[in-house]
Amino acid sequence: MLVKRKSGEAARSRLASAVAGLAAKTVDRRSFLRGSGLAVGGLAALGGLSAGMTRPAEAGPVDHSRDIARRKNICTHCSVGCTVIAEVQDGVWVGQEPAWDSPINRGTHCAKGASVRELVHGDRRLKYPMKKVGGQWQRISWDQAIEEIGDKMLEIRERSGADSVYLLGSAKFSNEGAYLFRKFAAFWGTNNVDHQARICHSTTVAGVANTWGYGAQTNSYNDIRNSKTVIFMGSNAAEAHPVSMQHILSGKEQQRANVIVFDPRFTRTAAHATDYVRFRPGTDIAVIWGIMWHIFENGWEDQAFIASRVHGMDQIREEVAKWNPAEVERVTGVPEAQLRRVAETFATQRPSTFIWCMGGTQHSVGTANVRAYCNLLLSTGNVGAMGNGANIFRGHCNVQGATDFGLDISNLPCYYGLAEGAWRHWSRVWEVPYEYFVSRFDDVPAKGGRDARPATANMSTPGIPSTRWFDATLIDSEEVDQRDNIKAMIVFGHGGNTVPRMQDAQRGMNALDLLVVADPHPTTFAALHDRTDNTYLLPICTQFETSGSRTASNRSIQWGEKIVDPIFESDNDYAVIYRLSAKLGFADQMFKNYEMVDGKYSPEPTPESILREINRGGWSTGYTGQSPERLKAHMANQDKFDLVTLRASADVPEVGGDYYGLPWPCWGTPEFRHPGTHILYNPNIPVKDGGGAFRPRFGLEREGVTLLAEGSWPVGSEIQDGYPEFTMGMLRRLGWDADLTPRERGTIARIGGGDPERIDAVSWSIDLSGGIQRVAIEHGCVPFGNGKARAVAWNLPDPIPVHREPIYSPRPDLVADYPTREDGRQFRMPNIGHTIQQGAVDRGLHEQFPIVLTSGRLVEYEGGGEETRSNKWLAELKQDMFVEINPRDAEARGIVDGAWVWVTGTEGGSRARVKALVTERVGPGVAFMPFHFAGWFQGVDQRGNYPQGADPIVLGESVNVITSYGYDPVTGMHEGKTTLCQIAAA
Amino acid sequence: MARMKFLCDADRCIECNACVTACKNEHEVPWGINRRRVVTINDGLPGERSVSMACMHCTDAPCAAVCPVNCFYTTADAVVLHSKDTCIGCGYCFYACPFGAPQYPRVGNFGTRGKMDKCTYCAGGPEADMTQAEYVKYGANRLAEGKLPLCAEMCSTKALLAGDGDIIADIYRERVVTRGYGSGAWGWRTAYGETVSV
Amino acid sequence: MIKAIMARMPAILAVLVLFAFAAPELSAQQINPTASAVQEEQLMRALQSGEAVSGRVTIVDPRAADLIKPGNKNWAADHGGMVKTINIVAILGILAVLVAFYLIRGKIRIEGGFSGRTIQRFNAIERFGHWLLAATFIVLALTGLNLLFGRALILPLVGEGAFGTISAWGKIAHNYLAWPFMLALVIVFVAWVIHNLPSRTDVEWIKQGGGLFKKGVHPPAKKFNAGQKAIFWSVIIGGVALSWTGVMLLFPEWAGSSSDWQFYQVIHAIVAGVLTAIIIAHIYIGSVGMEGAFDAMGTGQVDENWAREHHSLWVEEVKARENAAPGGAAQPAE
Repeated sequence: MLVKRKSGEAARSRLASAVAGLAAKTVDRRSFLRGSGLAVGGLAALGGLSAGMTRPAEAGPVDHSRDIARRKNICTHCSVGCTVIAEVQDGVWVGQEPAWDSPINRGTHCAKGASVRELVHGDRRLKYPMKKVGGQWQRISWDQAIEEIGDKMLEIRERSGADSVYLLGSAKFSNEGAYLFRKFAAFWGTNNVDHQARICHSTTVAGVANTWGYGAQTNSYNDIRNSKTVIFMGSNAAEAHPVSMQHILSGKEQQRANVIVFDPRFTRTAAHATDYVRFRPGTDIAVIWGIMWHIFENGWEDQAFIASRVHGMDQIREEVAKWNPAEVERVTGVPEAQLRRVAETFATQRPSTFIWCMGGTQHSVGTANVRAYCNLLLSTGNVGAMGNGANIFRGHCNVQGATDFGLDISNLPCYYGLAEGAWRHWSRVWEVPYEYFVSRFDDVPAKGGRDARPATANMSTPGIPSTRWFDATLIDSEEVDQRDNIKAMIVFGHGGNTVPRMQDAQRGMNALDLLVVADPHPTTFAALHDRTDNTYLLPICTQFETSGSRTASNRSIQWGEKIVDPIFESDNDYAVIYRLSAKLGFADQMFKNYEMVDGKYSPEPTPESILREINRGGWSTGYTGQSPERLKAHMANQDKFDLVTLRASADVPEVGGDYYGLPWPCWGTPEFRHPGTHILYNPNIPVKDGGGAFRPRFGLEREGVTLLAEGSWPVGSEIQDGYPEFTMGMLRRLGWDADLTPRERGTIARIGGGDPERIDAVSWSIDLSGGIQRVAIEHGCVPFGNGKARAVAWNLPDPIPVHREPIYSPRPDLVADYPTREDGRQFRMPNIGHTIQQGAVDRGLHEQFPIVLTSGRLVEYEGGGEETRSNKWLAELKQDMFVEINPRDAEARGIVDGAWVWVTGTEGGSRARVKALVTERVGPGVAFMPFHFAGWFQGVDQRGNYPQGADPIVLGESVNVITSYGYDPVTGMHEGKTTLCQIAAA
Repeated sequence: MARMKFLCDADRCIECNACVTACKNEHEVPWGINRRRVVTINDGLPGERSVSMACMHCTDAPCAAVCPVNCFYTTADAVVLHSKDTCIGCGYCFYACPFGAPQYPRVGNFGTRGKMDKCTYCAGGPEADMTQAEYVKYGANRLAEGKLPLCAEMCSTKALLAGDGDIIADIYRERVVTRGYGSGAWGWRTAYGETVSV
Repeated sequence: MIKAIMARMPAILAVLVLFAFAAPELSAQQINPTASAVQEEQLMRALQSGEAVSGRVTIVDPRAADLIKPGNKNWAADHGGMVKTINIVAILGILAVLVAFYLIRGKIRIEGGFSGRTIQRFNAIERFGHWLLAATFIVLALTGLNLLFGRALILPLVGEGAFGTISAWGKIAHNYLAWPFMLALVIVFVAWVIHNLPSRTDVEWIKQGGGLFKKGVHPPAKKFNAGQKAIFWSVIIGGVALSWTGVMLLFPEWAGSSSDWQFYQVIHAIVAGVLTAIIIAHIYIGSVGMEGAFDAMGTGQVDENWAREHHSLWVEEVKARENAAPGGAAQPAE
C-alpha cells in the first residue's frame, strides 16, 4: 500500500556516500548512557541526553523473516485486567501489539499498560540478591540469602514467637502466588499476613460483605455500558482505571447516560461528567444521607425492592431524616439543589450504578462510608441487575485475587474466616492435620491486663493490619496483644511509602531485627531507613516472567502466560516461597499436593497444580470451577465473548455459554461447567446461568423479623421464597439428597466424620465434592441461600453509618457535633483516634494547618511507584512530586505555579519539599498530592540509599510523610484521604 | 489511495498518555523526544478537554515548504515523512509547524539540534520497509505490515483515531450525532484546511 | 528557577485569561462539564495572531504546552516570500548597480599614477581582524544563502544526497565559524571605532559623492572616509544583529518560544541579505573597482598618491607624526 519514494535514493550521488559520515549515526543506548554519566547523575543527566535516534541494538525491529512468538499475559498495573500481547523473538520481548480480542480492553491500554515491555528490559531492576553489610549493599547468592534469612527467622521465632515475623504480601502476586503466601503464613503459624487491600479496599470488602454477602464489585466495567446513571464518588477512573473509561464513555454516549462525579477535586473523570459536585473531604456519609433525604422525602425509593430484598431500611430512614438540606450543606458544603437533582436522577433514571474507590475507603469511617453507598443503591433498587450495582474499582492487577486468597489478617483463603471450622476445612484441603497448625501458633501470655490466649485461640485471632506494623514494632510490648512486638518484616511486592506516618515507619524499619524485601525493584522499604545490617533484597521477577492467573476487579480470572524468562538473577514467587519453606522445614508438607518442576535455581511448583488445589478448596467463593484448562481456553477464545454481556454464545466450542474469565462464583467442579457470575445477586436469570441472590450470612432472623428474601428468588428456582444456605441436612429435608452421587455422598460423610449430625451440618462451603452445590443449582437454587441485604450491620461499630469528622478536621465546631469513635483496641493494638482528634481541637491545629490535604493517583504511576518511576517511558512524563493548590491559597502565600514549596503536617514536625501546581482543580482550602513518590524524605535526597543502578529514575517526597493518624475500627484502614497541612513557599 | 489522518476526539480523551508511551515503546524513542504528547486545555476547570497531538501529516505541509534541504516527502497515503540522511537539524520545520511536532535530540558542542525526529505515522522512512536501517532511524513501519499507528490502536478510550480521513471523520461524525456534543476535530482546519462538519 | 517561571507567567496568564470566559464558577448550583466543554472553533476564533491554543502538559518542555499555533504557517509563508524576496532584491540589486557603475565609471584609477612610495595604512592586527572577518563572513554568507536558495539552485545540480551532505557540513561550518566571526568583529571594532566616529569632513565628502562619480574630484578624508565609515557601521551593527540573533538560534533553549525563534530567524536572514549586498559593494571597491585600494589590506602599504587622493587629511596626519618622530615607521616593511 505504501509507496516509497525511490527517486530520493536514485538521486543520491557518489559524493554523498563519500562523505556519508554525517548521516544519522547510531549509538548503542547503553554505551551512550554510560558516556553521558547517566548512571550516577540520575535525572539531571537524563535531561541532557539523547543523541540522534539512538535505539538499543538488542531491541531492533521484529525480524519478519523468522518466527515470532505471540504470548498473552495480563497487564500488571491496575485491576481492569487488560490483555497484553507480547511479541517474542530469541527470548527477547521485542514488541507489544494491541489485544483486540480481549472484551475488557479491546486492544487498548493506558500509559502504564502501553509501556509494560520496559519492565522486563529495565536496567533499573534489582539484579541479584543483596544484603546490607555495615551500611553498604553487597551482592550475595540466592543460597546465602535464603540460608541467612531462614536462620534469622528461626532465631526470632525462638526468641519472640511466630507472630513477631510480619508477612506482608502483595496484590501483584498471581492468585497462585497469593494463595501460596497465605498458606506459607499458616504453616509458619501467624495471622500477621496482609497485603495492599488493607490500604485500598479493606473497608469496601468489610462494608459490602456485611451488607449483601461478598466483598467485590457486583457487576463489571463492561456492564456499565448498560447504565443510565453513573455516580463516581471518590473515584478518578480516568487516571486510576483509564481503560474502564472506554466502557463508561461509550455507555455515556450511547445511552446518553448521566455521569455524576462527587469529588473534592475536579478530576480528569469529572471533566467528562454531566454533573460535578464538589464536597468537603471526609463527609461522604453526610452527602449520601443528603441524597437519600431527597429520595425518601419525594418517595423515589424502590419500595418493592426494599420490601422483598432489604432488611432494616426503616432504621436508615430515621437517621437520614436528620440530614436535612441545611445540615448537609453546613457539613459538606453541597447546596440543596445539586443534591436534589442528583437524588432524582439516580433514583428515577435507572439502571443506576455507584462507583467508588479510595476516595471513599481511606477514612477512619471507611467501612461506614461504604455501607452508606450500599444503602443508596439498596434504597433505589439498584443492585443485582444489568447496568446497576456497586461497581467498586479495585486498585492493583490482582488485589481482588489476593484478597480472595486471604492475604488478610482475618481470613484464610476464600473468606472462610479464622474460626476452627475454617482451619479444619483448609487442613482437609491441604491434607495436613489441624493439630499441625495448632502446634505452629504461639501461645500468647497474659499481659497488659488481658487474658492469656492459647494457640487454638491465637489461630482465630486476626493479626495486625499493615497500616500499623511499625506501631507494633515501636510501642511497649505490653500494649501489643501477642507474644512480643514485631521483630521482622518479610515484604513481598509492597511499597514502604503507602501508609501514613512515614516518620514512624522509618523508626519502625530502623527498630526491626530483620527486614527482607522481595521485589523486582528496591522499594521504599529498602531505602527509607538507616539500617546497616540484617537487611536483604531478593530480586523477584514480574508476572510477565512467570505464569499464573489473576482476578480482575470484575472477578474475571485471566491466565497469564510466561512471556520471557526472569531477567538478571530474579526468580518467581513460587520458587522463592518454596525455598524459604524448605529452609524453614515445612516444604514437604506444604508442597506435597503440587507438581514440582525444575525452576531457574531450584524446584518450583507449577501454578496449574496450585490452582487445582484452590479449585478443591475454594467452595465458599466459587473458586472451584475455574480450572487451568478452562482459564487457558478463555484466553485462547477471547474473541468469542460479547462486549456487553461478557458471555460466549452457547454453541462455541470449549467456552460456550461461559462468562469471560469465569467470574466468581463459578460454582461446582470444573466439569459442572458453571459459566461464572457476571453480575452478583442477580435473580433475573437462573443460577446455572450466573444468577443469584443476596447471601444470608447474618442469621435467619433479627428481632423477630426474617432475614430471608420475601417474594424474590432467582428465575427457575424450585424454592420460590427465601431460604438459608444449603447443607446436607437441608438437602435431605427437601428430598434432594437422592440426587447426590455415591462419590459425593462418600466425601460428605468423610467430612462429617461419619457422625449423622455432623454430616447434616456439612454445608455447600465445606463439601469438597461439590455435590451440595451441584444439586442446589440443578434445582435452581443458590448454594449460599436467598436472603436479604442488610441496611443495618448490627455487628459493626456503627450499625447505622454515622457521619464522624476526620481525626484532623478543619471544623472544630463539627468535631463537637460529630466526634470520632471513642478510643479502643482493635487488631491486637490500641486505636487512640479520639484522643488525637480532641488533642488537635484543643491545640487549635486547624488554625496552624488550615488546608485540608487529600491524596490520590496519577495515571503514569502506580502504588508506591518504584516500578513505574523506574520505567523511563513513564518517568519522563512526571518528573516532579507536586502539590495542587488553589490559586486563591497560592496567592495568599506568595506561591507561583512551578515553584518549590514546603508542605508541613500536623504530626512530628513532618514536612515535604515539593513543587506547587496552582490550579482550580482543587477548591480553596484543599490541597492534593499524589501518593506514588518516594526517595526524598523531608527535603533529603535518599538516592544513595538504593543499591547502585537500581534507584528509580524519578524520586520525590512521599505524601504519606504528611498524612496522619486515623484508623477505621473495622479494618484498620488508614485515613489517607483527609488530613490537615500548611503550605509555604520554599 | 487512502488519505491518512489523525483525529483526536477530545470528548473521549482522558489524558491517560497511552499514546505517548505506546509510541515510545513501538519506536524506542529516547528520553527527551516526544513524537506525541497530550495537552490539556482549561486544566482543572469545567470544560477541560485534553487533546493528543503529534504530526498531523498536513496537506501542503509547511515543514516541507520551509525545509532548506527538501528532506520531506509525502507518501501515497499522504503521510509526511522525512529523510534523516538529508536533514541538517536547522529547526525551520519546527518554526513552521503549527503543532510543535518536530523534535530534536540535543547534540553537538553547543547543545544544538541534531537531526529532526517526528511522528512517522508508524510508516518508517525512505529506507527499505521493515529493515534494521529504517528501524534505527525512524522506528517501526506498521503501515507496511498493514497496521495502523500504535498510539491510536492502543488509545484507552478510542479517542485517538487514525486511518483514512473520510472513514475516521465518519466515525467521529457518528459519535457526535449519537451523543449530541463534540468539541471539534482539533487541528483539522489548520492541518487539512477543512473540518468535520456534523 | 523562579525566573524561568516568571518568564512563563505571562503566557500562562494569557491562557487563563483567554479561556476564563468559558469556565463557569465551581460553586454554582449545577456544573455540567460535558456541556461546558471547550470548543476548538471558539478558541481558534478568539486567537490573536502569534498566539497558540495552549494548555498544560506533563512533559518538561514548556513549549510542548502549545497545542495549535496556526501562526507558524505565516512564518512559513514569510520565509518563502518576504525573506527570500529581500535577499534576492538586495543581492541582485547591488550586483546590477555595480555592473552599471563599472560600465559607466570603469575602474577608478590613481590619477597621479603610482608614486612608488608607500605608507603603512593597516598594521598586522588590523589586517588579521579584517581578513578573519572577511573570510568567516564569506563562508557564513554562502552557507546561509545555501539554506535559502540551495534547495532551488544547488540541489537539482548535485542531487539530494550530496546536497544534504553539503548542507550538513555547511550548517556545522556556519555554527562554528560564527565564533571567529564574532571575535573578528570585536577586533575590528576596537581597532577602528575611534577612526569611524562621524566628523565634519564627512559632510563635505558626502556632498561631493566621495568623488566616485567624477574624475579629478577628491574630497578630503581622514583615515576613513564617510563611505568607509558607512561600511564600518553597517558591518558592526549588522554583525551585532547577526551575532545576537544567531546565538539565539544556536541556543533555542534560551531563546523562548517558537515565535521568538521565528523573529530571530527573520531578522537574521534579512540583515544577512542586506549586509551581504553591502559587502559585495565593499569587495568591489576594494578590489576591481579601485586601483591601489586592495594593497591597504593586502600588504598594509598603500601608494602615497592613492592615499593623498582618497585620504588627504590622514596622509597629512601621518606625515606630521613622522616628522615629529624621526626614525619612525615610514620605512617599508623589512
